[in-house]
Amino acid sequence: MLERIRKRSRTGNQNSNEDNTHADSCEQIPKTIEAVEARLSEIFSGCSDFMHREISCGEKRSIRILVAYINGFVDKRVLNQDVIRPILDFFSNTELHEGSRIFEQLKECVVINNDIKEADDMWQAVDGILSGEALLFIDGENKALVIGVKAPQGRQVDEPDTETSIRGAREGFIENLLTNTTLIRKRIKNPNLKLEMMQLGKQTKTDVCICYIKGIANEKIVREVRERLKKIKTDAILDTGIIEQFISDSRLSLFPTVGNSEKCDKLAGKLLEGRVAIFCDGTPYVLTVPYLFIESIQTTDDYYDHAYFATFMRLLRLMALLVSNLLPAMYVALVSFHHTVIPFKLMITLAASRQGIPFSPFTEAILMIIAFELLREAGVRMPRPIGQALSIVGAIVLGEASVAAGIASNLMVIIVAITAICSFVVPPLIRATMLLRFAFLIAANLLGFLGISIVAVAIFIHLCRLRSFGVPYMAPVSPLSVSDLKDSFLVLPIWAMVTRPGTLRQEKAKDGKGTKRQEVKIKP
Amino acid sequence: MMCGKSKRRTGVFLAVFLILPLLVTGCWNNRDLTEINLVAGLGLDRTDDGKILLTVQVVEPAAIQSVSSGKGKGGGTQPMPVFVESFEGETVFEAIRGMLSLIDKKLFFSTAQVLILGENLSKDGIVEVLDFFQRDHEIDYTMDVLTAKGATPKEILEIETDMESIPALYIKGTAENTISRGTVKRTRLIDLIKDMDCIGKQPTIGQISKAGEKEVRTEGVAVFKEGKLVGWLDSRETRGFLFAIGKMKSAIVNIPAEKGKISMEIIRSKGNVKVAFENSKPVALIVKVELEANVGGHEGRGRLDSPEDLHILEKKLEEEIKNEIMLALHKTQMEYSSDIFGFGTYVHRHHPRYWKNAEKNWNDIFSKLPVDIRVDARIMRTGIVKSPVKKEE
Repeated sequence: MLERIRKRSRTGNQNSNEDNTHADSCEQIPKTIEAVEARLSEIFSGCSDFMHREISCGEKRSIRILVAYINGFVDKRVLNQDVIRPILDFFSNTELHEGSRIFEQLKECVVINNDIKEADDMWQAVDGILSGEALLFIDGENKALVIGVKAPQGRQVDEPDTETSIRGAREGFIENLLTNTTLIRKRIKNPNLKLEMMQLGKQTKTDVCICYIKGIANEKIVREVRERLKKIKTDAILDTGIIEQFISDSRLSLFPTVGNSEKCDKLAGKLLEGRVAIFCDGTPYVLTVPYLFIESIQTTDDYYDHAYFATFMRLLRLMALLVSNLLPAMYVALVSFHHTVIPFKLMITLAASRQGIPFSPFTEAILMIIAFELLREAGVRMPRPIGQALSIVGAIVLGEASVAAGIASNLMVIIVAITAICSFVVPPLIRATMLLRFAFLIAANLLGFLGISIVAVAIFIHLCRLRSFGVPYMAPVSPLSVSDLKDSFLVLPIWAMVTRPGTLRQEKAKDGKGTKRQEVKIKP
Repeated sequence: MMCGKSKRRTGVFLAVFLILPLLVTGCWNNRDLTEINLVAGLGLDRTDDGKILLTVQVVEPAAIQSVSSGKGKGGGTQPMPVFVESFEGETVFEAIRGMLSLIDKKLFFSTAQVLILGENLSKDGIVEVLDFFQRDHEIDYTMDVLTAKGATPKEILEIETDMESIPALYIKGTAENTISRGTVKRTRLIDLIKDMDCIGKQPTIGQISKAGEKEVRTEGVAVFKEGKLVGWLDSRETRGFLFAIGKMKSAIVNIPAEKGKISMEIIRSKGNVKVAFENSKPVALIVKVELEANVGGHEGRGRLDSPEDLHILEKKLEEEIKNEIMLALHKTQMEYSSDIFGFGTYVHRHHPRYWKNAEKNWNDIFSKLPVDIRVDARIMRTGIVKSPVKKEE
C-alpha cells in the first residue's frame, strides 16, 4: 500500500517539475551585446542583485564587452584586477576587427584568472551567473566567457558541534562544497580520489558531488549511487538529508541506511574503507553509503585509541543501545507480569516505590518518557541563552516534584534518566530508538516479556532483511564474515586490521576477505 | 514485484507472531504491584473441628518505606510493616480465596519465605494439604518449611521482632543459620516434596518454637511417619541425624577435657548409611561418617602440641559424634519406629528382591536391627596459637 503511495508521489513529482523546466531548452546567445543586455534584463527583471556593465576599449572604442554577475556573489577586487584591468590595458592600443580573434585572445592571453569556460547557450550563461561566476559577452560573438571569480562565502572551517571526539582532527566540513572537497583532498593525496560533480534540484540547482577512491570503492556501488542520484526529481535540495531520503534503500525503515558525518577524518576513513561519499553544496553533512548497522557504534576515537578501550567502548555502546530500547519495557514487564522472577527484597523496594502512584507502570513510563522527549526537543529548538532555565525546570519538575507529588515513582525517574543517557551514547540511532522504545513498551504492557521478545524478533528480522546499496545491513554479523569481525563488536589494533572490510569489497574474493590495505597500487 | 515482496514479508511476520506465543508460556495477566498483597510467611494448621486454618503474613511496602527512610521516627509508634490474617476453610485453596473477604488485594505467594505447619495439622497428616503447594504455579519451591512445636503457626507469624522488619525474613534467617550450627534440619519445600516421594525414607521437617515475646527458636527436627508427625528430635539428636545423612555443614562439638571442655569446629563432613546383608537378610545398620575438624577453643587444662595429643583428641571426637548419632538412631528406632535416615532407600536400591517383601513393614525391621557406627575424624588445625597463655595450675 505504502509502496503504491510512494510510486504515485514519485510520478506526481515528475509531472509538476516538467512545468517550469528550462534547462533542456536551447537558446543561442544573441550576437549584439544590446540584445544580450535586453535578454538578461528580461530574465533577471526584479533581481536587484544582478549587475551588468559595458566596457568599451580599443582605439575607436570598437571592442565592446558586457560583464554580468550577481552582486556579492563574485569577488569584485579579483574581477577588477584579473579581468577588467587586463582587458582595458591590452586593448587600449590595439585595434582589431575580427571578433573571433578577440574572443580567443581574451580567453588565452588577456584574462589572468585560471577558471575560464566557454558558454554558447543563453541558459548555460544564466546558470553560470547564478553560480557566482562572471560572464563576459563580446559584441559580435555567439559565445560568452564564464570566469570563476566566486568570493569565498560562509564561515571558517570549524570544529563540528554534533560530532566531537576526544582525540583526532577538530576540522569539520562547512557549507561550501569546494572547501569540503579540498579538506578531503588534503587528507587523501591521491589522484584516484574521484570527485564527480552534478547538479540536482530543478529550482535550486544544487551542486552535488560523488566522491570515492577508484580501485577501493566497489564500482557497482558507485554506479548505483550515480543512478539513484540521477533519478532524483525534486524542486529543491537544501540538505543532504533530502538526498538521503531519496536514495535510501528502504525508505520506510526506521533505521538509517545512509550515513552522514561532519568530520573530515571520519569521512576520509570511510572512503578508504571503500565507501562512497556524497557532498552537497550548502550543508556540512556529507553522506556515506553503504551504511551498515555496525557503523552506528563506531567512532573515530576507536581507531586512534588502544584496541582494549575501543572494544570496551563498543560493547558499552551496544549495551547502551539495548538498554535505551528495552529498559522501560523491561521494568513494565517485570512489575506488571513477572513478579515471580523478582527477588523478595527487591520486590518490597519496588512495591514500596510504587505505593500511592495513581497510574499503572505503563502510563507512568509513557508520561515520563514523553516529558523527557519534550524537554529534549525544547532544548534543541529553544534559543541557546534560555537553555539553562529549561534544564533547571526540567530537573526540578521531572525529578523532584513529580515524585514528591506522588505522580511518578522514584524508580521510574531513575529508569527514564538511565534510558535517556543511554540513548545519547549512540547518536545515529537516537530517532529509531525513540520510537522503538514505545513499541517495546506497548508490547510489554500487553504481553510482558513475551511481547518484548515478539517485537525484538520482528525488529531483528527487519534488520537482517535490510540492505544498504546491496550490502546486508547487519554485516558482518549476518551474514557472518569472520574476517570483518575485526572491526565490529570487538576492535583489533590497527596493525592487525590488514584487510579492508570484505563486505564492501570490489570483487568477490573466495576467502571472503577484503583487499589488503598495503597492496593497493596507485595508478593515475 | 514490490507487491510480492511485501506479501512475503507479511507472511514471515505473521508466522513469527503466531508461532512464538505457542512456544512460550508465562504470566499473561497484567497485574500492577500495587494490586497484590505480598505474602512473606504462610502458616497452616488444623482447627479442632477439622478445618484448615490458613495464616498469612503480608508485607505492607509503604510502611517498610517509612521505616527504612526514617520518616516515621519521632512521631511515636511506627506502623508495623506487616499484618497477619487467618482464615478457616475446608481446603487450603478455599481458605486462600475466602481470605479475600478480610483483605483488599489478591494474595501473591511467590514471595513467601516460610511455610509453618502447625502441630495439629502435622499429627493429622501433611501429605494432603501440601498438594496445593505442589500444584500452584505461583508457589516458590525454595521456601523454607518448618513445623511449629508448642505454638500455633499464627502465634509464630505474629511475632514482632526488632531484628528484621519482616518477621518471616527473620525466621528464614534463623533456619538458614543451621549451616554453621547444624542443630536444625533446613527443609525447603522442594526437599520435603522429594522426601515424601522417596521410597524407604520418612520425611523430616525443621522445628520451630517460640522462645519469648520477640524471638523464635529453630532447633530440632520433627519426625514424620507415613505423613504424620510422630515425635521430635532435640538439638543434639538432630546433629547426630545430620551427621549420619551427610547434611552436616558445620557445627561445634564439645569434648570433655581436664577441668573443662574443648570445642571442636566441624568444617567438613561426609556421611552415608548402609545396611549390611547376610544370607540375603539385613543384619545391621551401618552409618559411616568421615569428617574434618579444627580446634576452636580449649577451655580446660592440658596441651595440644604433640601428634599423640591430637590422636587422642580425634578418638574422643569420634566417640562423641558416635554417641550423638546413636542417640538419634536409638530414638527413631525405639520411640518412633520411623526410618528417617533412608536405610530403606539403600535396601530398595541394592536388594530390590528383599525390599519387595519387606517394604510394608520396613519400619519395624529397621527398629530391630543392630547398629554399627563408624566415624573417622581428622583434626586439621589447632588455631593460630601453639602454646596459649598459661593457665594457672
